[in-house]
Amino acid sequence: MTEASSLTRNKDHWLGRFQAMASPCEILMEVDDRRLARRLLAIAHAEASRIEHKFSRYRKDSAVQRINHSDGQPLVVDEETAALLDYANQCYELSEGLFDITSGVLRRVWRFDGSDRIPATNEVANILPLIGWHKIIWRRPKITVPSGMEIDLGGIGKEYAVDRTARLIAEQSDASILVNYGGDLYVNTPRRNGCGWFVGVENPASSLPLAEGSESIHRFELRHGGLATSGDSRRYLLANGIRYGHILNPATGWPIEDAPRSVTAAAATCTEAGLLATFAMLRGAKAEFFLRTEGVQYWSAR
Amino acid sequence: MQLKKESKSVRGALALATCSLLTGTSQGVNAASEEEWEVDSAVLFYSEGSDRVSVVEPVVGLRKALGDDEYVGVRLVVDTLTGSSPNGAIPTDEVQTFTTPSGNSTYTAEPGETPLDPTFRDTRIALSGEWEKPLSERLKGIFSANFSTEHDYQSAGISATLARDFNNRNTTLSAGASFSQDSIEPEGGAPVGLTPMPEFPDVKETQSASEDKTVSELLLGVTQVVNRRTLMQFNYTYGIDDGYLSDPYKLLSVTDDTGNVTGYLYENRPDERSRQTIFWRTLHHLSEDVADVSYRYYWDDWDISSHTLDLRYRHELGGGHYLQPHVRWYKQNAAEFYHFKLDEGAVPTYASADYRLGNMTTNTLGLKYGFASSEKQEYSVRLEYMTQSDDDGQFEDVDAVILQANYSFLF
Repeated sequence: MTEASSLTRNKDHWLGRFQAMASPCEILMEVDDRRLARRLLAIAHAEASRIEHKFSRYRKDSAVQRINHSDGQPLVVDEETAALLDYANQCYELSEGLFDITSGVLRRVWRFDGSDRIPATNEVANILPLIGWHKIIWRRPKITVPSGMEIDLGGIGKEYAVDRTARLIAEQSDASILVNYGGDLYVNTPRRNGCGWFVGVENPASSLPLAEGSESIHRFELRHGGLATSGDSRRYLLANGIRYGHILNPATGWPIEDAPRSVTAAAATCTEAGLLATFAMLRGAKAEFFLRTEGVQYWSAR
Repeated sequence: MQLKKESKSVRGALALATCSLLTGTSQGVNAASEEEWEVDSAVLFYSEGSDRVSVVEPVVGLRKALGDDEYVGVRLVVDTLTGSSPNGAIPTDEVQTFTTPSGNSTYTAEPGETPLDPTFRDTRIALSGEWEKPLSERLKGIFSANFSTEHDYQSAGISATLARDFNNRNTTLSAGASFSQDSIEPEGGAPVGLTPMPEFPDVKETQSASEDKTVSELLLGVTQVVNRRTLMQFNYTYGIDDGYLSDPYKLLSVTDDTGNVTGYLYENRPDERSRQTIFWRTLHHLSEDVADVSYRYYWDDWDISSHTLDLRYRHELGGGHYLQPHVRWYKQNAAEFYHFKLDEGAVPTYASADYRLGNMTTNTLGLKYGFASSEKQEYSVRLEYMTQSDDDGQFEDVDAVILQANYSFLF
């Protein structure tokens, strides 16, 4: 079920790699023992795969698919799914309805492939009745999703996987470890030399992958905590001279106007960083104002 | 449905939510509260001054979640009343002598003093139980029963309310009904209305040894979340009281042309009353504080109508401490059969001199201080001063002090 992972020794740490959640995943571990490094990598790989399978929109046996195919009937969900739904509900409230896990159905009309194919107004309008977290009845542990509506935990899943993995690894080792799933990161503790891990945030104008040594425009030293990015330089549409970013407004079904191309935020955990970055993007032109007033350490690209 | 208290910042609230998600404390907290009893205990002290009524009232309430928004609760209240209560007669220049309700003795009122019945003392025990149960995804039932007893009075009642959420739980409609059956066994029997108080050792003319009444009420309500900070509530109630509604211990003074008191009659009220209230309340959360404003209008077919305006403001002092000032204004128009006294030879079918049925204004000023020392316990103390005055300038003002101490905790 899981693809192969690789483990290589760098000068002062082990680097484990595998593919999960449609992203390259890396674990940087400041441990000496190869067996320990291998065990930690296996734990990370298993956890990332578990979360991918459990919350994937594409797998028939996933918890999310069961919810999306419940045909308007109440469905009892497990504890972990319930915790994520509670969290999604809190994010919905905190963002005043802009962060909405039911807005994924807009993908049916919006395909951000760099082309100029923007959907017709009525295509978008036809989808809108299927959007709105408030239309879903969520009473732990039962969820009722009206027929035709869908939920998508993709906006939380990867960051959640990073934090979950970091916690599982922390039970095994207190070494300094960086978990990086597709650019969303977490570092548990500073390295032995007292420094953090240096990570680069890619320049949205280029398409260089995030990796050590790449010509990223911005380098962060991450000693402890989470770092996550919202926005993607490759996911946009360009029509009539207007650039349509892939962050959609659930109220209108159209891209948020004047949003930065990407926002990277730092916080105590990766999940929190990811949501802060997403909340900022959802505020469009006021993204940076939001981050500044909330006192968030961030980096944005326009 | 409840109003969400807004956190200081999105970031702070998000950090808390994320912590719950990753540590699983959200369900941990729920699980804990489901196993715990919520205990609410209080002692209230009410005093109308040296000679008059004072009440000591301990209360203990228990509530427990049975899971899935289902709750059960019980509540026990014990009132101990001591002191004297106005008997309805007016003060005069002379010493007045009254026969006690039991007919076994007499008491007197000094010249210029409002006649007070000193036999007014009692202990009341009231027990109630409540069960709140979700009936479907958005429908909730609240069922309760209550029973109270004192030496001359018993009451037993039941009520049921259904509450249905609409509009993404932003609107709740409620409909309820309650019914109670009360019986009274007055000291010395129930006097025939508007017959004279006998002079000791004669005994009063009675209509029965015991009487009863029923109280029925219907309620319709809407609660609306206006926005993240504001909650509004409207209620309408319609009630019918049927049976013996007089106070068997209350008298009216009868005066002649020159204003001299020539005797006393037992009061007599109609045996039916239909009453209605409309009630509006708004709770508004500021960043930390909460403002609570309500207005009630009451009217009945005894021609009583009243306005109540109530303002509370909870000011958070930080660290779990808060102060809550309270102002209440109440204005009542008298019942059509309310008389301060009766004129000789002009005795109506119904009459009462009970000041509580008269034209009056009541003002209350209070302050409450509370301290939540942890998630699990909270202390509070409330001091209020109330003054009741006759808008016609006839009966004597009533001033009362209310002191209440409260302790709630989970165990």
